[in-house]
Formats: sequence, structure tokens, C-alpha cells
Amino acid sequence: MAVAVVASALRVGLRGCGRLGRPACGLRWQSQTQEPSAYPGIVESTEEYKFVERLIPPASIPEPPRHQSYPTPSGWQPPKDPPPNLPYFIRRSRMHNVPVYTELTHGNRQMTLIRKVEGDIWVASVEVAEALVKGWLPPQVRDQIQTQQHHQEGEPGMR
Amino acid sequence: CNFRAPQEVVLSLGVGARCGYASDSGSLRSLGTRSGPNPSTKGPPRPAGVPLLRRCELPVPQHRTPVQAWVESLRGYEETCLGLADLHPDVFAVPPRLDILHEVAIWQKNFKRISYAKTKTRAEVRGGGRKPWKQKGSGRARHGSIRSPIWRGGGIAHGPRGPTSYYYMLPMKVRVLGLKVALTIKLMQDDLHVVDSLELPTSNPRYLLDLIRHRCWGDSVLLVDVDEDMPQNIVSAVSNLKTINLVPAVGLNVHSMLKHQTLVLTLNTVAFLEKKLLWHDKRYTALYPFRLPYSDFP
Repeated sequence: MAVAVVASALRVGLRGCGRLGRPACGLRWQSQTQEPSAYPGIVESTEEYKFVERLIPPASIPEPPRHQSYPTPSGWQPPKDPPPNLPYFIRRSRMHNVPVYTELTHGNRQMTLIRKVEGDIWVASVEVAEALVKGWLPPQVRDQIQTQQHHQEGEPGMR
Repeated sequence: CNFRAPQEVVLSLGVGARCGYASDSGSLRSLGTRSGPNPSTKGPPRPAGVPLLRRCELPVPQHRTPVQAWVESLRGYEETCLGLADLHPDVFAVPPRLDILHEVAIWQKNFKRISYAKTKTRAEVRGGGRKPWKQKGSGRARHGSIRSPIWRGGGIAHGPRGPTSYYYMLPMKVRVLGLKVALTIKLMQDDLHVVDSLELPTSNPRYLLDLIRHRCWGDSVLLVDVDEDMPQNIVSAVSNLKTINLVPAVGLNVHSMLKHQTLVLTLNTVAFLEKKLLWHDKRYTALYPFRLPYSDFP
């Protein structure tokens, strides 16, 4: 019984291949009778990389473009060119904004911080205080204005 | 914080004493005066006939002027005043932040440190599982194990536990500012020399030592070039010297600048340093590490 099964399996297998790897005499594989297919294989294309390239962000901050009129709708104004003739200079931040920030300490002490002042900051603080006082302010605010200078290790050239 | 003008602060961790303070007779140490009464001045007046060998490639802010340094040469003993080089004020004339220098120097010392000290606790010391004697009745103090910390031979209660890493990173901008401050202080204290290139006429280390002694550069000199390919003469001259060291520009660091008494940069190095250090003033914060590609970097 087992021998008959094995014999029939052998006969089926031997019908396909006459020689080793080749079909029996007069026969050919199906792939040999057909024409070579038009499949081009794998083609590597770098044409579509431009869609990736335009998504990669830049690393350095661009200069702001020139507008027709200032201030721009968001309220931005470029620094004066040439810089005004003062004993101090206040640089812009790296995003070209004015370096004025709010500070809150002890939960209730609100301060305004002007950073990046170069040159004589005493004169700068006096002028800022004067400019604040020039407009109208409620008296309780006007009496509370204090200015403080924070020297960071001095600057070369200042004696 | 105490304000001390940079001229009074002598920052040198170098070996030995200086060979005497000697300023170049013609050195113009202009501090890039900013916004005086007339901010539109081009800079300090140059003496007639002195060529300007290098201008700043990157734009200088309008209210500041470049600082200048003499360009020298290593080819001869007396070639000290070949011309002037403009140095960008935002790299070579920043406010002298000693606190930042300290932070960066301490970081450099400590972030690589791994201390391998380890002691055994009472649980790790061999033995000590059994109560040595019964709780009451023996007349002795009560103890639970012979390896508790109060026993001789016992474990250590609060000792060092295993390899400890002291790694931390300062923000990139703090490290960049540390380099700028160190370069500024070297320049302002007359310890920075700009050289056109590091070419020597001979590879004899004696020549280099005599040149340094002649120009009173001090006991230790740090020579910086841009690439790793440096002229063979200087490489062989410096290779056996202990206090004179040659580094590529990417190897410049605050500790080395403070350790060596003099810093010698080539013109190419100055351009490289300015470009690299000023880029950080105009960059966005990193969305992903800068080693991955950005559209305009590197």
C-alpha cells in the first residue's frame, strides 16, 4: 500500500522532468514560449526628491523683506538706518524684534525688562524713565516707576 | 557682581611665569568703540602705509566697528608687523563674562568624569545574615548582624555607589559664548597673535623656541590652524615640545585657551571661527539635531 503510493508519486514527478532541470524530450517551460515581458525591473528615480527637499526647514533666520510702508500690519518696524546718535544702542533680538520683555517675580512684582542695551545704560535708563513720564499716567503708577540697571560684567572699552 | 576691567584680570593657568610684559611698539588695540558720539566712524585711524590684510567677511553691526590685530609671520624673527587684520567685534570684543568662562571651563573638566568608586553596603558585605547573639540576657549591646555600619568590617552606610557619571551639557549658545569670551579676553590681554600661516623655514624646534622667546610670547603657546593638514615643518617642530601645542580649529576650547599663555591663530582660522561662532547668533532653535540635514546647513 505504502509502496504503491510512493511509486505513483515518483511517476508524477518523473513525468515533469526528463533530464535534470530540463523538461522531458520535446517539451519546454511555459516561460520560454512566451515573449520576454515588458517589465523593466526596478528603476531608481531621484526626480521626486524635490518634494522632500522643499519640506526640509532652514536653519538660519532670514532677513525681513522690505515692505512698502511701515509699520507693517502686525506693528513691526525695522530699526532706524543709520542708527540714531545716542550714547547707547539697543540691539534687536534674533527674530528682529524689540528686546522688551515682561517679568513677574514673587507672584506680584511685575517688571518690564529691556535687554541687549550696549553702551551707557545709565543714560538709557534715565531716558526711558523720562519717556515714560512724558505721557499721562495715573499718579499711583507714576509714583511706582523704578528703574534698575543690571551690568553684566562690564564691557571692554568702558573704564 | 564685581566689575573689573579686563585689563586687571589676569587669567592664566599656564606653567611658569611670563617672560616679562612686552607690548608691541606699534600695536593698536582698538576696542571696537561702539556708539560714541559719532557711531559712523570707520574705525580707529590706521597709520599710513599699513596694509589691511583682512576684512571681516560677515557683516559687522552698524553701531560697532571691527577690532584690529597685527598680522605676523613665523618665517623670520623680526616679521612682526606685516599688516592689520580686522576681527569681528561680536566674536573678539564681547563683554567679558567671567561667569560664563567659569561655567564652560568647569563643564569641560567635569562632563567627561566618571568616578568608579564603589563601596559595599551592609547587604553586599560577605556574611552578616545571622543575629550574632540573642537580643536579651547576654549583657552585650543588641545587634542584628555583624556587618552593620557601626561594626568593624561592616558595610559602609553612605559611601560612593557604583560608577557615577557627572555628565551634563551646557546649552550650545552658552558654550559658543564661552569661546567668544575667551577669544576676547585673549585679545584684550595681548595674548592673541594673528599669523598669516604656520610655515616655518626649518623644522628645528630650537628655531620655534627662540622665536617665541624673542617675541616674549610666554611659556606656553597654542597654535591653531584650520584643517588637519598643516605644514610638515611645524608639525615636526612641535611634536616633541610639551608646552607648545598645535590643534586644528575644531579643537579650540576654553580650557586650552586658558591653559596656554598665548594663542596664535592663522588668518584662515580667524575666518573659520568667525563664520562658525557668528552663525549661532542668527539661527533658529534646533527642531532636530544639526547633524541631520537642514536646507541651508551646513
